[in-house]
Amino acid sequence: MHELSLAHNLIEQILALAAEHQARKVNRVVVTLGPFSGVVRDSFEFGFNILKREQEPVQDALLELLAPDPQYICFDCDKTVSIPLTRQNDRLELASCSLETKKCPWCGSNRLSPNGGTELILNQLEME
Amino acid sequence: MCDICGCQLHEHHHHDPKVVEVNRSLLEANQKQAEANRHYIEHMGAVAINLISSPGSGKTTLLERTIDELKESCGIGVIEGDIETERDADRIRAKGVPAVQLTTGGACHLDAPMVHGGLHVLEHLAKGRRLDLIFIENVGNLVCPATFDLGEHQRVVLLSSPEGSDKPAKYPATFKSADLVLITKSDLLPHFDFSVEEATSQVHLLKPELEIITLSATTGDGFLRWLTYLRRLLAQRLPHAH
Repeated sequence: MHELSLAHNLIEQILALAAEHQARKVNRVVVTLGPFSGVVRDSFEFGFNILKREQEPVQDALLELLAPDPQYICFDCDKTVSIPLTRQNDRLELASCSLETKKCPWCGSNRLSPNGGTELILNQLEME
Repeated sequence: MCDICGCQLHEHHHHDPKVVEVNRSLLEANQKQAEANRHYIEHMGAVAINLISSPGSGKTTLLERTIDELKESCGIGVIEGDIETERDADRIRAKGVPAVQLTTGGACHLDAPMVHGGLHVLEHLAKGRRLDLIFIENVGNLVCPATFDLGEHQRVVLLSSPEGSDKPAKYPATFKSADLVLITKSDLLPHFDFSVEEATSQVHLLKPELEIITLSATTGDGFLRWLTYLRRLLAQRLPHAH
């Protein structure tokens, strides 16, 4: 539910940067949503695409979202493991990153602790 | 028409798009305000706690009993976050401590700018009385508030026994961000299939060693540990504030 306020923050940030760089138009926005950031990708995208209509410089901006694979630390074998999200379940998995269904590829333990992945970053802007 | 060279070709552009590497957090503005809030709270000589939980898990009841136990020995102020109504702030005011109600009008979480406004009002309501302990009761929600630093010193997440011990596994971001977890309504444990062991192991999977206190604000069971935690926080405040 807080995706709309985050999208609003993003647009304000973009508008300030566009003004700073004397750009009239923003073409592309690259944002990283960490797998444990608690942000639902679809809702964030939806919010951004609604809010951008109200601001001329970002009206046609394309939002490109990067979703790094979630990393875990296995409590049994101590390894840091990266478990890619399965494409089919992207939406569900990104929303919950359910711990119970994941197993350590090295030792089979399900005691996997999320490691990092809480980042929400505006990486890059393409402006003119 | 291109307004740089004046040529009539609609698609014509003279200026090339430029790519700017930004690499800044989306939460930058909130984070800045949160740091300022923390500084402001420390300047008052107080310590602030952000209480997060689902609706109905007992945040306000916890505060009522905490105020009864501590108000003689320290100055308490409360900022209440709710979508609507002044009900929670009224319950706190009935205990004789200053309370500010922030109604978000639909927003599912408090953010640092809202709390900044609340802190000013709270200081005004305190009328010169010293505030040692500021509780910020977040909007009842186990998802969204986790993302927003309010300028608190400690984040306390409540989990009540009727909610079920699977909640830390279902809402990892919130429990991982906690400095303390309270399992509330312990007097109801015999009536629900809540497993303190399951909740504890799930929380410790997210954050090993995190302190967990099981208590009941109704019977007072386990309350001493919570009060000890608060007294320890008060004792650890920055010395320059006194």
